[in-house]
Amino acid sequence: MAQRYDAIVIGGGHNGLVHAAYLAKAGKKVVVLERRHVLGGAAVTEEVFPGFKFSVFSYVVSLLRPEIIRDLELPKHGLEILPLDGTFTPLDGDYLWRMDDHGRSIREIARHSRTDAETYEEFGRAMQALCRFVRPILSMLPPDPGKPDIKDLLNLLFLGKRLKNLPYEDRYNLIQLMTMSAADFLDQWFETPALKGTMSASGIIGTFLGVRSPGTAYVLLHHYMGEIDGAFRAWGFAKGGTGAISNAIGSSAAALGVEVRREAPVARIIVKHGKTVGVALESGDEIHADLVSSSLDPRMTFIKLLEPGAVSDEFLEEVKHYKYRGSSGKVNLALDGLPDFTCLPGNGAHLRGAISISPSMDYMEKAYDEAKYGAFSRRPYMDCVIPSLTDPSVAPPGKHVMSCFVQYAPYNLKEGPQDWDRQREAFGDTVVDTLAERCPNIKKLILHRQVMTPLDIERITGLSEGNIFQGELSLEQLFFLRPVAGWARFRTPVRNLYMCGSATHPGGGIMGAPGRLSALEVLKDWKRGIA
Amino acid sequence: MSDRQDVVILGGGLNSLVAAFDLARAGRRPTLLERRPTVGGIAVTEEIAPGFKAPRLMHLGGPLRSDLLADLGLDRHGLTWLDSPVLMAAQDGSGRGLVLHRDPGRSAESIAAFSKKDAERWPKFEETVGRIASAMGGLLDLIPPDIDKPAWKEVFPLLRTGKKVRDLGRKDLYRVLRWMPMAVADLAAEWFESEIVRAALASRAILGQAAGPWSAGTAANYFLRAAQDPRAVPSVKVPQGGLGALTQAIASAAKAAGATIRTGVEVSGIEVKNGAVQAVRLAKGDRIETVSVMSGLDPKRTFLNLVSPVDLDPAFRKKVQNIRARGVTAKVNLALGGLPEFTAFKGASSGAAGDGGSPLRGRILFGSSIDDLERAFDASKYGQMSEHPYLEATIPTLLDPSLAPAGKHVMSVLVQYAPHALKEGDWAARREQLGDRVVKTLATAAPNLPSLVERGQVITPKDLEDDWGLTGGHLFGGEESLDQIFTMRPVLGWARYRTPVRGLYLCGSGTHPGGGLTGANGRNAARALLADRR
Repeated sequence: MAQRYDAIVIGGGHNGLVHAAYLAKAGKKVVVLERRHVLGGAAVTEEVFPGFKFSVFSYVVSLLRPEIIRDLELPKHGLEILPLDGTFTPLDGDYLWRMDDHGRSIREIARHSRTDAETYEEFGRAMQALCRFVRPILSMLPPDPGKPDIKDLLNLLFLGKRLKNLPYEDRYNLIQLMTMSAADFLDQWFETPALKGTMSASGIIGTFLGVRSPGTAYVLLHHYMGEIDGAFRAWGFAKGGTGAISNAIGSSAAALGVEVRREAPVARIIVKHGKTVGVALESGDEIHADLVSSSLDPRMTFIKLLEPGAVSDEFLEEVKHYKYRGSSGKVNLALDGLPDFTCLPGNGAHLRGAISISPSMDYMEKAYDEAKYGAFSRRPYMDCVIPSLTDPSVAPPGKHVMSCFVQYAPYNLKEGPQDWDRQREAFGDTVVDTLAERCPNIKKLILHRQVMTPLDIERITGLSEGNIFQGELSLEQLFFLRPVAGWARFRTPVRNLYMCGSATHPGGGIMGAPGRLSALEVLKDWKRGIA
Repeated sequence: MSDRQDVVILGGGLNSLVAAFDLARAGRRPTLLERRPTVGGIAVTEEIAPGFKAPRLMHLGGPLRSDLLADLGLDRHGLTWLDSPVLMAAQDGSGRGLVLHRDPGRSAESIAAFSKKDAERWPKFEETVGRIASAMGGLLDLIPPDIDKPAWKEVFPLLRTGKKVRDLGRKDLYRVLRWMPMAVADLAAEWFESEIVRAALASRAILGQAAGPWSAGTAANYFLRAAQDPRAVPSVKVPQGGLGALTQAIASAAKAAGATIRTGVEVSGIEVKNGAVQAVRLAKGDRIETVSVMSGLDPKRTFLNLVSPVDLDPAFRKKVQNIRARGVTAKVNLALGGLPEFTAFKGASSGAAGDGGSPLRGRILFGSSIDDLERAFDASKYGQMSEHPYLEATIPTLLDPSLAPAGKHVMSVLVQYAPHALKEGDWAARREQLGDRVVKTLATAAPNLPSLVERGQVITPKDLEDDWGLTGGHLFGGEESLDQIFTMRPVLGWARYRTPVRGLYLCGSGTHPGGGLTGANGRNAARALLADRR
């Protein structure tokens, strides 16, 4: 029996939920279809081992748009962000510990290099100036350079004017940031290897690029985005794990009247006479609606769920050119106690922030070198957090959970992605060994270990090739080129089929911007009577 | 002698010579000063052993801008062009050979041995590159626009190029936007499946760059070169006597137009007074007073070595310091007792190319997969020379037998990657090792080559800096990465050949449109100077 809705949203990740909530807020009748038993996509909390709750995939909150928090009243629905205190980079016999206390960070950097300490403040000011310039772009509908309409031209003119008004030094920095590698850019500012190594890491997270690859400098900005909102850094944990964010959005959506169905995998999108009319579930049921918004990536949406012939071969060719290349894995550890770092023993506050294994840019680049030829890094870059220190609810008393983001773990191994089934435990061992070099007691503490390879990420979340951002955040896949040039405005070649996931502008991370921006576009079309 | 000169041109490379020609032709009296005994910069033909002449550094380049070629009237200065129908040859690990021709159909035949699918796609690729590159060509002739206050008369050429690009149609426009920031390895993989074809395409994008085929932005390098020479594989066109004969001919054209050329003269400084050029100081102690200086030297050498820091805004100087010019290329020249025999091209001298000529007349690549090239690059990131370097070689004597005694040959080899900044040791001590690695690599494809070597010459990146004055040993006056091209070359806001010092101009490959021996930089710079004087 067919049921009718105004809109169907495929995928209950944070963007799908945000999208649905905004549509419902405008009075539409919306259903969200999620394949798994939990909502959140890659933003889920699961009790993997009894008593131990993990943010299985995505583990810190970064850029969740403030307007979404406000519009959807997320705090009312249980969202509580706990601060992530600084970044600790263990080294051989020393460490670099940047804290959320600015003065202490400067003193710490000065311990390594006086000039770097001075430059650090100048660098922060320069980045803030650029953030003010870049932030509006995150909430802007990408123009279409192929057939610019009057609004696009105005937008471009607006950008051009703002660029012109930007002081020369800022403009110089901006152009460098947009085009350079993180390594080359940071080399111009700093000399301390550990500082550059750790800062460069933000340029490569989730991409299959090294710190020396041009185009990686831009992401450095993201680390400063939050600062102008008043906090030192926008990074934090959600109380109850990352899944709590999805749950808050889900609860807000439900309050707005969105119907959410779990364990309702979609088999295909139904297109009749060139127009989307609904979806067929794997159960065989059909659901009909005026329009369908897919929060899945383009490969899933256009190749798996659409029937052949629904879009032109030329468009499909472009969809195939869109690159995923998952490059990271995740290792979640259930611990009997706290790790003890050789370079700074004890249970100090350094364990409450991010623990970054990134002693130098050469270390980072060497990790990438191995991955280029289809092997996981023998000494990977790692970003580890111990959320149980800030949020005791996620582990039994006295025990802890430690989440390790690991790069590089290339989806495409030399022997093919399926070989991850054979290499999974060896990968887990490498991660533990890398940690054990810095905190020898870690091996004794491990009660349980969950190893998530890019293949596992793909299987569980449906993210193609395990790319956590639904496609690489490289220059040729950003803004009006994301995901396909000419189709960067959430619409697709199939009428009444929309995209609303991280594969659209402005991209991945728990930001929610694609879900919101796309919803606004859908509502516009509705108003015009197109949808 | 206290006569104030009109324009003094520093360095005698191709662009300096072009600037000298253009300025003289416009009625100026330029004086060009070259430190080496011959003009030509990196485009010189010199004897490497008795009776053997070789391209000391670059073996191929250009072509020169067509308007420039017409103005120079080079035939009058004794130039005969040799244009090879064979463009590129490469051999894979199992001894199979790929030969790319000027004729796309013949290239496709050779590609078919590696992949039928690739062979089918080849003509389409040639056509696509030709179309897009031709539309972009206009950008090279432009003086980059002033971002702060664009002048109306400059808007039109820009619009014209813009219109050409728009005329490509939406599909090509999207392609251009998407391809530029990509890695050339990705671009090649979108079109072709065989590794050897991918590597052959990538070779053009990485020559002289501190980048590997997987480096993002190298597709832009590919198109930057293609815009100068709008075909998928670079053409092989040199004058008889090599590139040195070309620069000599331009020098005589410049002299005929009224320019003065002095060799063996080293400049040690540029004197500035009240923000304007006053004189150049010579290493031997003299000084030459002049109204203008046009420097064909790279921007770092010009501003960091020749201009005193007190005469420059520290912020500008900092930006010049930030220009990346990490040389990664070395050169090996060999005098050979005979023609080396390549496993894939047995009997090559006797017409294996099908037209009676050798398939080795163009570029010969050593490195038959993207991974080969990328692995060679990896070492250089950490200050080491490649264990198995990537080589681009030519045997100039196959096109031009006059360069060596009868029956003998010269081989010219560009070597990557040899980082100027070595982590351990210095180049004086590593010279032999570099030569050995190169000969060993050549022997993998041509086993009899080592036994033919009569004389060898190794030019390290340090030599490029010491003997040719190239900062960092970089061939093109600074890397051609996305942040160092067009309006950002050499420094944002100073891409129009003028500099913060009044009367001081830049005309070398450190300016737009970069390296490649097209003469565009010299011509644009001369135009800028002449416009200011008016």
